[in-house]
Amino acid sequence: MLDDRPVLRGATLEAGPGLSLLRGENGSGKTTLLRALVGLVDLTRGRRSVTGTPLYIGHRPMLLRGLTARENLTFLASFRGVRADVVAALRRWGLEDAMDRPVDRLSAGQRRRAALARLETEPAAVVLLDEPFADLDVDAIILLRAAVNGALARRQAVLMVTHLHHELDADAAARFHLKDGIVTPA
Amino acid sequence: MSGEPVTLGKIVLVALRELFAERRHPDGLAAALTFTGMLVLLESLAFGPGRAREPATASAVFWIAVVFAASLVTMRSFDRELEDDAIDAVIALPGGREALYAGKVLAIAVVVAVVAIAAGALSILLLDLGIALPGHLVLVGALGVVALPPVVVLANVLTLRVRARVALVPILAFPILVPQLLAATQGAAAALSGDAAAALGWSGLLAAFALVYAVLGLTIVPAAIE
Repeated sequence: MLDDRPVLRGATLEAGPGLSLLRGENGSGKTTLLRALVGLVDLTRGRRSVTGTPLYIGHRPMLLRGLTARENLTFLASFRGVRADVVAALRRWGLEDAMDRPVDRLSAGQRRRAALARLETEPAAVVLLDEPFADLDVDAIILLRAAVNGALARRQAVLMVTHLHHELDADAAARFHLKDGIVTPA
Repeated sequence: MSGEPVTLGKIVLVALRELFAERRHPDGLAAALTFTGMLVLLESLAFGPGRAREPATASAVFWIAVVFAASLVTMRSFDRELEDDAIDAVIALPGGREALYAGKVLAIAVVVAVVAIAAGALSILLLDLGIALPGHLVLVGALGVVALPPVVVLANVLTLRVRARVALVPILAFPILVPQLLAATQGAAAALSGDAAAALGWSGLLAAFALVYAVLGLTIVPAAIE
């Protein structure tokens, strides 16, 4: 339920290690499904079972304005009890000169890169990505593909919501379509 | 994603995150300092020098200003959390909801303490206040500052996704804060006029309020944050 409106009805989704793609029309409830999986939306019925603490990167950066990209990522990794090389991760994502600027002074694409660098600083068995390609330039798309491939090589389960990038279909272990609150294999 | 107990380390992490952000963009602090400063100045003009120097009047105006300052600082803090969904990254983690609440309470107490020190110094200088029991005044001030954030942060959490949050937070928080306001005002007035026993009594009450509402907040918040 979202704003007293049923969004998901009998949605069943089981995703194991590997890449799972979730597609659906705008407003079909894809983001709500991811947020429900991570516990940000309460379920009125049904249950969720996720291995460990998932890493959820939403379609907004989820970084606190007023802090730098480095401070944000260091905080989130520390909160998970992880000692991560945040500087190296942000460098790999092309933010060497921008990592010490408050995130509100970064471009949308740079903020997105900083958010996606969490893939490297917060190891999680389950990764949920909501429209991760939004705002990315070609270089960053290549970086994201490499990061996802790295996660798959580490046997992480990656559930990705994306409208485009149909070339990912070939790599996907599972594909789902969400319509009228019901998830079906695509 | 709650369920794991929150640790002191996580609470301190959230508090530091808040203080770092406030230090870099001190808009909440600046607004609170301006507001309290103007209120103290206006009070001295409105009441006139004789009346404004009375312990009860000076204390009441000071604490009313601090209550509004706490509300301003906390609302700005949650505005920042809601921009770019930053809050979601914290509350999706185990113990994140409790840590967010307790960390915010801690950090906002620090910011409000800065405001209270500035407003207190201004009051003392501007009104030429005589302080009979400075140590007791510091104790009442410290406990009064600590007693406010548990309620104000809780009110912000309960109205987090509500469009009229700016109006709802004072409506929710201020009636609950009346006992704290009375205790702080009476305690400060007692310290100013030299009544040690009364100052200590009100201080104890403020400590109890802080504890009760902090526990209440930690109990309610995990289920209340949307």
